[in-house]
Amino acid sequence: MITIKNVTKEYAGKTAVKNLDLVVPDGKIFGFLGPNGAGKSTTIKMITGILPIDEGTITVNGYDIASQSIEAKKLFGYVPDSPDIFLRLKGIEYLNFIGDIFDIPKDIRKEKIENLTKSFGIYEALDNHIQTYSHGMRQKIVVSGVLLHDPDVWILDEPLSGLDPKSSYTLKEMMREHAAKGNTVFFSTHVLEVVEQLCDEVAIINKGKLQFRGNMKEMKEQFEADETLEKVFLELTSNE
Amino acid sequence: MNKTFRLIRTMLKMQYSLAGKSSGEKIGYVLLAIFLIPFSGIIISVLNSIVETLYDQLAPSGNENALLGLLFVGMTIVLLFVSLSSVLSSFYFAEDIEGFIPYPFHPYQLLAGKAAAPFINLYVTSGVLMVPILTLYGIHSGAGFIYYIYALLLFLIFPVIPFTMMAILLMFFMRFANIAKNKDRTKVFAGLLTFVFIIGFNVIIRLNQNPEQTAEGAAQLIQQQNGLLNIITGMIPTAYFSTMALQNAKALNGLFFLLLLLALSVGTIFLFLTAGQKLYFKGVLGLTAGSTKKFNSGKVSKKIKTQPVFLALLLKELRIIFRTPTFFMQIVVQSLFGPVFLVVILVFESSSGSIGALGSMLEQFDGKAPLLLLFILTLFILGVNPASYSSISRDGRSWPANLYLPVPAKTVIFSKVMTAWLINLLSIILLAAVGLAVIQMPPALFIAWIILTFLASWFTSLVGTSLDLNDPKLNWTDEQEVFKSRFISLIALLIEMGTFGFIVLLLWNIDSLQSLWMTSLLLALLLTIAIGISHVALRKLIGTKFLKTR
Repeated sequence: MITIKNVTKEYAGKTAVKNLDLVVPDGKIFGFLGPNGAGKSTTIKMITGILPIDEGTITVNGYDIASQSIEAKKLFGYVPDSPDIFLRLKGIEYLNFIGDIFDIPKDIRKEKIENLTKSFGIYEALDNHIQTYSHGMRQKIVVSGVLLHDPDVWILDEPLSGLDPKSSYTLKEMMREHAAKGNTVFFSTHVLEVVEQLCDEVAIINKGKLQFRGNMKEMKEQFEADETLEKVFLELTSNE
Repeated sequence: MNKTFRLIRTMLKMQYSLAGKSSGEKIGYVLLAIFLIPFSGIIISVLNSIVETLYDQLAPSGNENALLGLLFVGMTIVLLFVSLSSVLSSFYFAEDIEGFIPYPFHPYQLLAGKAAAPFINLYVTSGVLMVPILTLYGIHSGAGFIYYIYALLLFLIFPVIPFTMMAILLMFFMRFANIAKNKDRTKVFAGLLTFVFIIGFNVIIRLNQNPEQTAEGAAQLIQQQNGLLNIITGMIPTAYFSTMALQNAKALNGLFFLLLLLALSVGTIFLFLTAGQKLYFKGVLGLTAGSTKKFNSGKVSKKIKTQPVFLALLLKELRIIFRTPTFFMQIVVQSLFGPVFLVVILVFESSSGSIGALGSMLEQFDGKAPLLLLFILTLFILGVNPASYSSISRDGRSWPANLYLPVPAKTVIFSKVMTAWLINLLSIILLAAVGLAVIQMPPALFIAWIILTFLASWFTSLVGTSLDLNDPKLNWTDEQEVFKSRFISLIALLIEMGTFGFIVLLLWNIDSLQSLWMTSLLLALLLTIAIGISHVALRKLIGTKFLKTR
């Protein structure tokens, strides 16, 4: 569970997130939506400890990300919006590095690396530098790294962008399974079809403020039932 | 032409822009500039006494122009070196080129844009040496107004030829490097080859100066005017032309040589752009792609093994340094450059017999003097190691991983300090080998020196990493920005040489302190204190800066 309490963040004099309150419950796939520059990435970066929080608190399964950061970070896996990291490492070196950091025993590590990378179709590229990977392959290796340590909480920033249909399907299935086991899946996206297919609950943020939070049914009820999600989204985030 | 200038301006802006820097940083630069004034005063006064002595000795035989010849020859070698590393990083290692290639530019236009930043580098380099020496020479020779005009023009023209020549040579090498399969490795290899080429060039010059022959010949040559100049500049005609232009500034003769140099420079620029038009894209297109290997599942599963987190971080750092061409050139090759050069010089001197005796000479010098001298020399060599002051900045856009992965901040930072220390070890091993094999250092001195060196290396690694953590440059689009237009190396050196320079001077002058062991013990103690202070400072910095760094 992720609990965001009254969080505010300012960037160069501009308020990026204002008094945000949000609880991401266990056992559900939670979609985080908003137009470009709405504060989605800023929020995710505060949850993961990349950005300091100006006001308020964020806890992950009860651990405060600011004061108990190591404990909190051990509980989540994070897929950043840009997978262009550690490009000079080989795929296998990156996964082994993650394995060392999360203390994954060798036999489990070996089995998981094989299973994950085979299901994403990057197994045969493991001995090459990440630099040589395509965008989608980079995304897959980062996702594999996250799944390798089997965290309770998944935090994914635009996880499906750049993935081919098969891998996209695989990841979505994995997200469903993970949530079904009672874990947390929190992800941001622009793609409304994905939200409709996948999410149990959504939150829509615009200009740093929460516009809506609820399940898909509530969202449709709040607006006219026959409206498409696209129209609802546009209405909620229309600039004035 | 207009578009070329736009391109040059855009590329320069990306390299040198102050955008995104806080006003605090800008004030820092101003303070640094003020701080540098007394420093440059010292350098100028040292240069002045050198110029004065040489001038007074050479002038009676009409050979004073040999001094200018020496300057231009020296500058050519220095400029070739600086061009080598900056051309490689700017033309080939900088991956921002990919962003420009889709636009409708000719190769020569991109080349002109890419050449701008390295060229500014050259002017800074030659400004440091050429401007003061030419001015001092002018003062001592009582030169007229035209001399200074010529000197200014030469300052502007002179770097052109070494730069374009080196660039053409590199473009030629890289055109073939691009055929190779493992491109990252080949890029580094081509760089190294050119590095060896210059050292070889230097060796050839040295070999041609057989000491006995030179001594005899010089005695004869010195009888005739310009004799000395002719041997010095024999290998490098541009140095000869420049010297003659300045020497005869008042006569028409001088103008002729100046125009000759100008014509040659314009010629090489055309040659450079023409060669670039033909060779540059062939060398650079597709160069950024790394290599892919045939898959072998056994090899992959062998790589899966558990290691402590600190070791995993350390290996990650070392892999990144050795695999990124720019980092490898700037950190490994450049930090080895000093020691390698020292080896070349020493080996050649020792074959002429003068150095072999240095060991026994050091023995006679019993006590602290050789130790103090060696210590300060080593500190200087270790102090300029870029592995420490690029610790944080190297991560670039991978930095946030340090923030979301569950690794304590101090583990991350100290793995970086350890990396810098290990890279220093390469230089230390090389120096130690020279100390034992060539100079034949006495064992006691060697042991004292090596212990102090290990401590000093930890100290410089701490200082560099702290400075980088205090003000890192993470938003680079290209690796060379980590090293260019930052004063951090200078600040690191000032801190290290400032404190220990003062201490060494103090120890040197304490008459009651003579023994090698007492001096080493005292230095070791002081180094330990310095390390302790740096540790506390770094830990404090980790507390305040680590989470805010991005």
